Amino acid sequence: MSEDFKNNKEIHAQSSETISGGTGGSAPDLDYVRPAEVSDQDLYHGHSFITKWVFCQDAKIIGIQYFCLATFTGIIGLILSWLMRLQLGFPEAAGFMTAEHYYQFVTMHGMIMVVYFLTALFLGGFGNYLIPLMVGARDMVFPYLNMVSFWSFFVAVLVLLASFFVPGGPTGSGWTLYPPQAILEGTPGSGMGIILMCVSLILFVAGFTMGGLNYLITVLQARTRGMTLMRMPLTVWGIFTATVLAMLAFPALLVGSLMMMLDKLLGTSFFMPTILKAGEVLEYGGGSPILFQHLFWFFGHPEVYIVALPAFGIISDLISVHSRKNIFGYRMMVWAIVGIGALSFFVWAHHMYVSGMNPWFGFFFATTTLIIAVPTAMKVYNWILTLWRGNIRMNTVMLWCLGFIVTFVNGGITGIFLGNVSVDVPLSDTYFVIAHFHMVMGIAPLMVIMGAVYHWFPLVTGKFLSEKLGKWHFWTTFLGAYSIYFPMHYLGFIGVPRRYFEMYDSPYMTSAVGMNEFISLAAFLVGAAQFILIFNIIKSLKTGKAAGKNPWQANSLEWLTPIVPPEHGNWGDRLPVVHRWAYDYSVPGAKEDFITQTTAPSEVTDTKVEKT
Amino acid sequence: MHAGIIFFLVILGSVLFHIFTPWYWTDIASNWGSMDDTITLTFWIGGGVFVAVCLFMTYCVFKFSYKEGRKAEYKPEDKKLERILTWATTIGVAALLAPGLIVWNQYVNVPKNAIDVDVMAWQWGWQYRLPGEDGKLGATKIVNINDNNPFGIILEDPYGKDDIMIQSDVINLKNNRPVKILLRSVDVLHNWYVPQFRAKMDAVPGVITYYWFEPNKVGEYEVLCAEYCGVGHYAMRGGVIVQSEQDYEIWLQEQQTFSELIAKQKKIELNETKLAKK
Amino acid sequence: MSDPKIEGYEFKPGYSGMAQDTASDQTMFKGVHWGKAMMWIFLLSDTFIFSCFLISYMKGRGSTTVEWPNPSEVFGLHVFGVDVPLLLIAIMTFVLITSSGTMALAVKYGYEKNRKMCGWLILATAIGGLTFVGMQAFEWSKLIHEGVRPWENPFGAPQFGSFFFMITGFHGTHVSIGVIFLFIYAYKTFAGHYDERKRGWFTSMKGDYVEIEILGLYWHFVDLVWVFIFAFFYLW
Repeated sequence: MSEDFKNNKEIHAQSSETISGGTGGSAPDLDYVRPAEVSDQDLYHGHSFITKWVFCQDAKIIGIQYFCLATFTGIIGLILSWLMRLQLGFPEAAGFMTAEHYYQFVTMHGMIMVVYFLTALFLGGFGNYLIPLMVGARDMVFPYLNMVSFWSFFVAVLVLLASFFVPGGPTGSGWTLYPPQAILEGTPGSGMGIILMCVSLILFVAGFTMGGLNYLITVLQARTRGMTLMRMPLTVWGIFTATVLAMLAFPALLVGSLMMMLDKLLGTSFFMPTILKAGEVLEYGGGSPILFQHLFWFFGHPEVYIVALPAFGIISDLISVHSRKNIFGYRMMVWAIVGIGALSFFVWAHHMYVSGMNPWFGFFFATTTLIIAVPTAMKVYNWILTLWRGNIRMNTVMLWCLGFIVTFVNGGITGIFLGNVSVDVPLSDTYFVIAHFHMVMGIAPLMVIMGAVYHWFPLVTGKFLSEKLGKWHFWTTFLGAYSIYFPMHYLGFIGVPRRYFEMYDSPYMTSAVGMNEFISLAAFLVGAAQFILIFNIIKSLKTGKAAGKNPWQANSLEWLTPIVPPEHGNWGDRLPVVHRWAYDYSVPGAKEDFITQTTAPSEVTDTKVEKT
Repeated sequence: MHAGIIFFLVILGSVLFHIFTPWYWTDIASNWGSMDDTITLTFWIGGGVFVAVCLFMTYCVFKFSYKEGRKAEYKPEDKKLERILTWATTIGVAALLAPGLIVWNQYVNVPKNAIDVDVMAWQWGWQYRLPGEDGKLGATKIVNINDNNPFGIILEDPYGKDDIMIQSDVINLKNNRPVKILLRSVDVLHNWYVPQFRAKMDAVPGVITYYWFEPNKVGEYEVLCAEYCGVGHYAMRGGVIVQSEQDYEIWLQEQQTFSELIAKQKKIELNETKLAKK
Repeated sequence: MSDPKIEGYEFKPGYSGMAQDTASDQTMFKGVHWGKAMMWIFLLSDTFIFSCFLISYMKGRGSTTVEWPNPSEVFGLHVFGVDVPLLLIAIMTFVLITSSGTMALAVKYGYEKNRKMCGWLILATAIGGLTFVGMQAFEWSKLIHEGVRPWENPFGAPQFGSFFFMITGFHGTHVSIGVIFLFIYAYKTFAGHYDERKRGWFTSMKGDYVEIEILGLYWHFVDLVWVFIFAFFYLW
């Protein structure tokens, strides 16, 4: 085994003449950075195919594995949404679909997209790839645990997909899995389906905890010399805070799933009151269905921010790089991320205004919910103020950013409707809710993911994605998705309830038929447009333009590795030394319009850098 | 450039869609016009912010698109601007929250003259019970439910005897008289929702939840289940007929009370035993 | 504990020191081993799991329609013709807390590189944990024998059985996992893996006595949780 470690060099033992980092002799006091506190990380280098590509301990490969598997489940979720839209828009063409199927598709689509696609992609995918590179670490701090994290996720996905093939099919209880219906006859998949769902969620939480510990400790304890918390790119801040939320929110989901499984398997009555079904009183009694809702939403609301905060962070970096301008109000952005994260633990019951909980809770939760609007609005202002007087490159990445701002502001404002307790009453459980959360945590984060893919593809592969295909991809996705969800709000105003298999016999809903057909057509188009990206990736891998080093002229560390794409260990034989924040773009007096984080102050003495 | 124009058209289209949409809320038929008002208020403030932010963004796209050799402004922070924006947003949010909370306060405080209506939900249907002359509903228990006692009324409860039972999914309500909807479910979650009344609340097995409204428009309305309750969810409909006081009283006279039901059952049983003896 | 020495970094006391550590580069918790920091955060997450369990328990107990059984009768033991309430549980708690003491000593001897003492103390801790699990198994079988099941309970509310078996079972699983690791670590200590800095079987990380402290953190946490479970189930 010893040869697996031979590449490691004991860099920390650098003697005092290189402590200054960067330039050495010319101005040692100006460039002084404290020596390393801990010895260099001791990495396991895989040699065989299995240890290098399958059971790999390199966070970058694990990130790509997470990305691919999450995308795969995401495509399944996409196909399920097509089937749902087929039923809603063209029920006569969906004759093969029963109500059972429809509800199973709704449930699996929701759960896949929220947990197995978005959460896994942002934290597992982008988190693994970017955190070590952006904070200047060689790898995640516990590479073995990180590998186990991915493979737990893999098993969780297998179990989830296995539920499609068990008797009764997957659970059809809605992604919120509310008892009592989740485990009673009359709901599709109330047998094996719900059990496999709970098992899969528990595996996901276990796997995620292993990954999450890695992300947190890497950010807290393994930053490189000179990298203070307030010099980190906002991407890292977003993923870091989201991981903290996940570590504290997933326990509630784990406990809820476990208790529901016991209710199903052992006949306990945690969530089950006395129930009369088909004239017979069941053997349950004394439990509280609302307890599950509290547990679920104590997880569920932070979960929204687990998806949103990494998106906030990534978009801040993309906008800054492509506007050639520092992110406006960096400190405000950091505090807004942290503040939103903290507040998100005190708002969960705004999902339950009409759930039958004590109505007096409504006052408290409406107030906390609307307080969150303030830091969120500040973030939006800072994004558009970053564009102001920038030098905006109108490339595909920037288009995704602008698309994000439009959809996020739209979805954020409809969130104020739903968070404000009495406004929520007529709108809750209608299509307004569907439109709101798809806009704000479906389409907006998707825009960020796409922007991030176009931005970091050159880093991961060394090739650019095709701009032309990218623009087609963007415009069909953005315009299509907007025309799905913007009109959908108005279905909610009419009062069309969500989770209706069909409903056009109601007198005031006949007018909605045409709109549903339109929405379905747009949904088919948007779904199909995502295959442009897959085609683009394949094509660009083969024939794409070579990117070279730091093609976007960015400042942050991930672009500054000695070899691009970065190899295992990231930094060759010397860890980078950081002298400034990641946003010194267009500094007056500088030759270029960017000053990388590793540039020593003595190299740019004649510039007017305000913050370092 | 083109991108800026398209974004502008998207914003313009959104505003025009809102103005000319044929899809909007149904004519209100209850006292909850205040909910519509808060929605409208939120629409104006929120919509204003949406349009302002997006137009500002579009302007930036036009004005500050990449030019070789030009340098962006370097200004990491602007404390004053950030403070102004924070306070302006806070005030705006407070202006939205306050009316919301006031309306909610009305929503949770039921007027004294409201008539109790017991709405019982199951997979997948509704039935209703009104208090008799004593104005009070009898207590119930799920285990008591059977063919002779469809609501599971506790037989010892004196309030239960004169309860009016409506074993149909349609209920009549008196115009301009508040009703307190008492929801209960015998199996899973349900939600008794009439879009025209705006109000809703889940029916949760094991507890009794409530909300109130005052119908103010004579007519027939459809009841929808608004909380997912299994495969029959979409078909779980009911009805409400709002009537003038006279019509309502006539209808009410035709309904059966619990004691009448018991008497009828006894009579049938008696007849059956007589037949059997013969 | 005194601050570690870090070249080029001066520690400050109190809150200003905390602020300085937070604002500094490289690490937030100066001189804290990665694994130790990880265990603290894991335990924080685990705290939320147990809190969810216990809050659900409070909610379940508070809203039950059937009378909750009297714990001092249910958990009483009939010894030498006398009914002693909570006898077994008192012994269990005593054993577990003692094992925390031996664990703390093991950590101390580990840092002093006293391989033998350290190993024996870990082994003692493991045996304490094993005794605890054994007594818990005895208590479970006693209750099951008396007719308590997760879904029913002859003494009162069925939720009593549900919550009792679920929460003590979950805690017992924690203890059992701890015991397994204690045995492994005892072996590794006796075999000298920490002295030779031998690489681990799976993680291939170099061995270090700090691992014993990390396991110790876990073990103390499991004890602490037991104190809460004890208070909520047996004393309430």
